[in-house]
Amino acid sequence: MKGALLSTDGLGVRYGSFTALSEVSLSIGANTIHSVIGPNGAGKTTLFHALTGRVRPSAGRIDFNGHDITALTDDRRVRRGLARSFQVTSLFHRLSVRENLRLAAQGRTPWQALKMWQPAERNQDATAIADSILERLELTRVAGRSAEELSHGQQRRLEVGMAMASRPLLILLDEPTSGMGIDDIATMKRLIADLGRDHTVLFIEHNMGIVMDISDRVTVMQSGRKLVEGAPGEIRDNPEVRRAYLGSMMTGGRA
Amino acid sequence: MDRPIFHFALAALVALLLPFFIRSGTLATEVLVFAIAAAGCNLLLGYTGLLSFGQGIFFGLGSYTLGLALIHTTLPLLPTLVLAMIVGSVVAIVIGALSIRRQGVYFVMLTLAFAQLFYFLAYTFSDITGGDNGLIGIPRRGIGPLALNSSWSYYGFVAVIFLISFAALQRIATSTFGRTLLAIRYNGERAQAIGFPVRAFKIAAFAVSGAVTGLAGALHALLIGIAPLSDIDYHMSESLLVMTIIGGTGNLFGSVLGAAFYLIVSDTLSAIWPRWLLLLGALLIVLALFIQKGIWGLIESGVGIVRGRRGGPDAMAPGVSGSERP
Repeated sequence: MKGALLSTDGLGVRYGSFTALSEVSLSIGANTIHSVIGPNGAGKTTLFHALTGRVRPSAGRIDFNGHDITALTDDRRVRRGLARSFQVTSLFHRLSVRENLRLAAQGRTPWQALKMWQPAERNQDATAIADSILERLELTRVAGRSAEELSHGQQRRLEVGMAMASRPLLILLDEPTSGMGIDDIATMKRLIADLGRDHTVLFIEHNMGIVMDISDRVTVMQSGRKLVEGAPGEIRDNPEVRRAYLGSMMTGGRA
Repeated sequence: MDRPIFHFALAALVALLLPFFIRSGTLATEVLVFAIAAAGCNLLLGYTGLLSFGQGIFFGLGSYTLGLALIHTTLPLLPTLVLAMIVGSVVAIVIGALSIRRQGVYFVMLTLAFAQLFYFLAYTFSDITGGDNGLIGIPRRGIGPLALNSSWSYYGFVAVIFLISFAALQRIATSTFGRTLLAIRYNGERAQAIGFPVRAFKIAAFAVSGAVTGLAGALHALLIGIAPLSDIDYHMSESLLVMTIIGGTGNLFGSVLGAAFYLIVSDTLSAIWPRWLLLLGALLIVLALFIQKGIWGLIESGVGIVRGRRGGPDAMAPGVSGSERP
């Protein structure tokens, strides 16, 4: 296995007296696609919140790219090369698609955005990145429309694009296919596999077809803990996992 | 219709035409002074989504700073105005930094609490501020050979400052900074998630707003020759917010319209009936219920309808123009 880009050690998150996450130790290899699966309430999104700095872990530590980032705020982690997308689409709905991506690209160097005298379009780095992502997501045609006018599938792609725009080392996708139709899911699957070529990808997903086909490693979570971890084949045949999922969802993956 | 240069031309037109429609030089000047303050308020409310009752503090401190400087020192006028901007900005940074630690209702309550605090400070330290009577006897110093004695010569001076401020605010609003503020207004959570330190940007918005509002307060004190206690009253914050909302949030020229409308209507109504505030209240209710995008929004949809009939493209399409309500 390649060197770890992100690793956690005994990570735990408590909300009051409720333990949402406990004793999670992960190791995400550089340039791998790593998926996190598990039933609802298993702590997958909480894990993401802790990794991106949205919630403070109550225990454990997080190392990213050779640095301890446990105490860093979420915006600082973006500058270190960590970006995420949301399970519930969270865009700047009133702004144009291109502006959404330009802002996300600018987010990597946020202090430059304090320049009150510089017209926004003058930052050619940010606009160039926005344009290249528009092309990659096949959204160039709708670049001028406001984000709220896009179809659900397009919004989900833009949601992923927002995470890509900061040129992260590690990209975290929280259920990128949530609410998508079959055609859109196939597009998203190609996109994630494609992202894996020049990024490290960690994603939460319920669609087993995608998980089994494009993941290098799969982590299964249950009740806030890591149940097992392994290659897709091992996970599929693991009796514990089958029990956790009641067997029913593990039949996918024929692509 | 969304181009900054067009809005600047409209603002210049207002400054140019006001003297032909308003007989009182004082009222005309007041319109421009409050247009500056409302535009400063708009930067927080319309662009950043922050409903701040602190505006009266910055306005009042601008008034007092100018008054104290002109009475007690020999400082020329322009440095005095700069000083008022610095005081407004610094206090805005402190109040902003403390208030944005909370969001929504609690943020508003904090700014309101600061407004009360500063009002009573000004009231209590009457040796410095003149208390209830205001700081009286502020001399109106000219600039070099330019005497600003007559009300219309002072109007000209204020008009120039108004246009400079308006252009500067426009530049800021369309800058990388302004566009980031807009993003924060629409979705602060996402702005933070894509890497923006949202708090720092909000504080920076306060700094600009405080400077602009302090400048307006200074010009107001210079206009009436005193720095009245009412300049730092929380009613001042209220009036500035009302002007901003009437005009239309998220659009700087809307603030000019809002200030003009508020002051001219108040002036007209007060001549008709001593209980004119009642009428103003009723008018505000109508605006809040039916014209939420303010006067500018009304004009935009008017133009949209006319263009729509002619089949113009995307006349009603939403954009960054800021015709959105808060």
